[in-house]
Amino acid sequence: MEFEPKILGFLCNWCSYAGADLAGVSRIQYPPNLRVIRVMCSGRVDPVFVLDALMKGLDGVLVLGCHLGDCHYIDGNYEAESKYRALEMLLENINLNDRINLDWVSASEGMRFADLVDEFTEKIKSLGPSPISSSTKDLKLLDELQAIKRVFSNSRIRSLIGRERKITLLENTYGETIDFEKFNKILKDALDSEFYRSQIYLSLLKKSASVKDISQEINIDKTLVFKNLLMLRQRGLADVAGVDGLDPIYKAL
Amino acid sequence: MEKESSIMVIGGGIAGIQASLDLANLGFHVDLIEKEPCIGGRMAQLDKTFPTNDCSICILSPKLSDCYRHPNIKLHTLSEVQSVSKKEKCYSVEVKKKARFVKEDACINCGLCIEKCPTKVNDKFDMYLRKRKAIYLYYLQGVPAVMAIDKEHCLYLSNLDKGKDICRQCENVCPKEAIDFSQEDQISTFNPNAIILATGFRQFNPSNIPQYKYAEFRNVITGLEYERLICASGPTNGHLERLSDKKPPKKIAFIQCVGSRDIKNQKYCSSVCCTYSTKEAILANEHDSEIQSFIFYIDIRAAGKGFQKYIERAKQEYQVNYVKGIVSEIKIDENENPILYYENIASSELCTMTVDLVVLASAMIPSDNIEYLAESMGIELDEFNFIKTVPSEPIKTTRKGIFVCGACKEPMDIPSSVTEASAAAAQAAQYASQNKGD
Amino acid sequence: MTELRIGVFVCNCGSNIGSIINCSELADYAKNLPNVVFAEDNLYTCSETGLTKIKNGIKEHNLNRVVVAACTPRTHEPLFRGICNEMGLNPYYFEFVNIREQCSWVHQKEIHKANLKARDLVKMGVARSARLEALEKYQVEVTSSSLVIGGGISGITAALSLAEQGFEVYLVEKKRKLGGMLNDLYRISPNYEDPSEYLQLVKKVEQQPKIILHTNSEIISIEGYIGNFYVTIKGQNKVESVEVGTIIVAVGAQVLKPVDYYNYNGKDIITHQELEKLLKENKINQKNIVMIQCVGSRIEERHYCSNICCMNALKNAIIIKERAPDTNITILYRDINTPGTKNELYYRDVRKNEVIFLRYNVNKPPVIEDGKIRVYNNSLKDDIELDYDLVVLSTPLIPNEDNKALSQMLKVPLEENGFFLEAHVKLRPVDFATDGLFVCGSAKWPVSISEAIAQAKATAAKAAIILCKPRFEVEGSTARVDTEKCVGCEVCIKICPYGAITKDDNDQVLVRNVLCKGCGLCGATCPHQAISINHFTNPQILSQINALVERE
Repeated sequence: MEFEPKILGFLCNWCSYAGADLAGVSRIQYPPNLRVIRVMCSGRVDPVFVLDALMKGLDGVLVLGCHLGDCHYIDGNYEAESKYRALEMLLENINLNDRINLDWVSASEGMRFADLVDEFTEKIKSLGPSPISSSTKDLKLLDELQAIKRVFSNSRIRSLIGRERKITLLENTYGETIDFEKFNKILKDALDSEFYRSQIYLSLLKKSASVKDISQEINIDKTLVFKNLLMLRQRGLADVAGVDGLDPIYKAL
Repeated sequence: MEKESSIMVIGGGIAGIQASLDLANLGFHVDLIEKEPCIGGRMAQLDKTFPTNDCSICILSPKLSDCYRHPNIKLHTLSEVQSVSKKEKCYSVEVKKKARFVKEDACINCGLCIEKCPTKVNDKFDMYLRKRKAIYLYYLQGVPAVMAIDKEHCLYLSNLDKGKDICRQCENVCPKEAIDFSQEDQISTFNPNAIILATGFRQFNPSNIPQYKYAEFRNVITGLEYERLICASGPTNGHLERLSDKKPPKKIAFIQCVGSRDIKNQKYCSSVCCTYSTKEAILANEHDSEIQSFIFYIDIRAAGKGFQKYIERAKQEYQVNYVKGIVSEIKIDENENPILYYENIASSELCTMTVDLVVLASAMIPSDNIEYLAESMGIELDEFNFIKTVPSEPIKTTRKGIFVCGACKEPMDIPSSVTEASAAAAQAAQYASQNKGD
Repeated sequence: MTELRIGVFVCNCGSNIGSIINCSELADYAKNLPNVVFAEDNLYTCSETGLTKIKNGIKEHNLNRVVVAACTPRTHEPLFRGICNEMGLNPYYFEFVNIREQCSWVHQKEIHKANLKARDLVKMGVARSARLEALEKYQVEVTSSSLVIGGGISGITAALSLAEQGFEVYLVEKKRKLGGMLNDLYRISPNYEDPSEYLQLVKKVEQQPKIILHTNSEIISIEGYIGNFYVTIKGQNKVESVEVGTIIVAVGAQVLKPVDYYNYNGKDIITHQELEKLLKENKINQKNIVMIQCVGSRIEERHYCSNICCMNALKNAIIIKERAPDTNITILYRDINTPGTKNELYYRDVRKNEVIFLRYNVNKPPVIEDGKIRVYNNSLKDDIELDYDLVVLSTPLIPNEDNKALSQMLKVPLEENGFFLEAHVKLRPVDFATDGLFVCGSAKWPVSISEAIAQAKATAAKAAIILCKPRFEVEGSTARVDTEKCVGCEVCIKICPYGAITKDDNDQVLVRNVLCKGCGLCGATCPHQAISINHFTNPQILSQINALVERE
């Protein structure tokens, strides 16, 4: 039987949901794989929702908002874009970025809505079932997703993403703006480091281990593991549990 | 505050809608009179709006449903004012409601009737660029979202007087028994304490300028036709194409002051064309970044908020060129490509330019029933048939208790219409509360 | 906790849904979902029969959640919510599932898959309904008076309109005299009215008992929110606090002094504002007068067109011409901006009146040197030299310097030039994004007197809408802060488009429900996930995702 993906869509009430309704009124046919959750604004979509859906094995997640500049709530879709970009950065690390998509549909674009659903469904079909929902459940990937979800629940990261537009467009607390490229780099570094820490922490939660063991387990360079372990210890999330030969063994707290 | 007063708003475009909403929220009962089957007016026909390129219907439709649902607003669609007379504390207005032949409260807009209806009619809402059926929804997002039967074209109704009883397919297929061929035009009388006129504008027919050959050349179209062509819910689903050969244009000319600032036609300036042509040129380039546009103008008039910057952006980012010059004639080549003959005022040279498509910024003129309406209301029009006002009282007509807003008093853009609509609401409210006691 | 009792009503919508989706099967499917105690399908759920069935369902089965699977919530949610309300069930306990526009109509050729989709959608709706919370609309008391800041034509008009509708108005003017720029004008275009005709309104203001006038006064602080603003006004001798329900900003603008342009000296090279003063004093007798348009506007550092200068220059040219017909007047312009009927006709008349119009190129602007003006002419492809006894510069209206301070007090934005920024350029032209605050006249953008009057009356309507009711009511689906989790980082305060989040006296973050529009930005952003969005809470959304992946 042909693979029928299950795709989750977050649609904003004012434009994209109206666009989807218009596709209906115009009887434009599109694949029946999308399941819609209506939200008032695309800016309501917390990356945690998207990650939750992916972890539960949904094959793809589509987020649709008003076109930039058209937001019913002034600039909520710009915020949606900031969040989405950060999410995409980390999902790229684990090759899942193709399974999410953010785009814009106006209330008059029934056809565009159908086209976007069509394209995205085709794309997901070509990618095949989510590695998490398939019979050979990819547990490693699930761990990585779990780690990413932790990243997006982390207050430092959320605070950085939440301040993006203020920092790049307006000014930071010192009255200066940072250009977009520079901000992106800062964000990417922050996301990556937090991702490592989450992976290390989650791995330690399962089993106390040495730097070398962790490095092998989650496939990260030993110095990076060590560096980030220090940070975890500072935050009181990990500590030395004992020593195995010459190697200290760490545990999660 | 207790208010028993009622106010009539004539015209269900954006100005009339805004005036109605404001008055309703002030506690007045509002009768909103619209001659088409749905409210929305010209703004519903536009694709995007300048200078933000907001999708027009996206920002309009919440207002349409607010209007529809407001407990203080009664919509009267397919309705026109017949006569007005002054009574003691109010006016007496006779309104004719044309038969819809569809029960408004029963129709569920399922569209089965449209599928069955055998008669095709050129669609006015889509500027006659597409066909609709004799039973139809005025436009997809229209409010109220119910069908109407076009009496003139309906096979059954148009053959009734010949004694034939044919078709009635819509009646057979309607699951809600909403079709009612027995409906007749009805005249009702209202007694509003004040009246607001918001009858809007229509587009000057450029066939009156023979050198532009609008009626002959298929690739010479008007601004409103262009809006429908480029709109995602329009006749081409938003694919910009020429009417002659369905090919996408790569080079478009936008001609300003077509019938405006023209001694032979309208002497006045239509106010919004410079900016809306800029918008249309930007949209073309957004559809296809290879499209180049040329805007032929006399003076660039872009004094509204953010308009100059919009024009700068059009030049820099969207390949829009501004040519100061008046096009004297349009011819076509063997592929129906329009050739423009014009004087380039910057270089004082006579030039020609071949383009794929010409869009005429046709003048805004008063709606066709305005003379009748003005006469029945006893208000004065200006020399162009716009409703007369003076600068110190921009909202008052020449008759007490009758106010005016939007493009029926002078060509103006959406923000000005909306502003005047609210102003008219304030003024009508003031008038109604002051005249309550006397 | 009371037991959940969910009722599901599946609409066939005639054959619209029914011909694709097997609605009775769908209702049977719904019966087996958790907490569902009743499910049925009907022909038209929105018909009187359908609505009665919902009512009976609620009564007979003691339902405390209602799910309708039918068309779209965008058109029909208010109807069904109303029915719940009528039956004593909180309207927010209603959940809508769209199986027409987003299912039966768009999958007409894939009937089996459409049915599977409809099941998923109903399952998600049922799961969500189980987590719905009862909400109430919020109300605030409204102080039935308004503050108008600025006593020019806009402020006066707004104040009078509100007063005549019966509301008390505090009108605050910085200067000693009301009337603003009208005091500087000689005549008004295009009808040559004497400004004193408009200044009659000042008398009306002074006699209007509902208007409390504060001249020579400044606003020094504004606190509060819609219905309840606390404003401190500093007069010459005293400081006074007033409480108002709405605020109208009508502070106007000022004329740019062209110190860096065309050797401006205030003597023989002056602005139109200065010319008007000379006209008033009847001191104009120069033979050759040259007017230059777009001085300091429509250029790199100031992009905008100031809207009113062309008409003003034309009017002054005609006044001079009529007094001394042999005066040579030349207007150097780029584009003549006289939109509409009255203005364009006026321009036509001026053209007939022996006023010379010469167009100049912005890249080769006129030069004043050795008592002559040189201007490049496109047709001649050469410079033209003009004699002058007086040069009059059309300079734009620019924002007041104190706009920034006022905008900070009001917590509203300015646009890039420093004019006040409205909520929506198209459809909310006189509102600020923050409820209860409005703007009109040249504070927002340069406008003519006529436009200012229309805008001022528009703000009066908007303010009156709020003031005419004792309470202001908003939807219950707003944000709320979990004070246990909140650390006071203020990210939400900065991100809220409506300024609805603030800190109270104890430094605790709180949402002003009346200002919140429920968009949910703050909830998705809060670093500590301390904000939940009523009616779109995390548990509600996650329950929908969960339902979708659950295996049967």
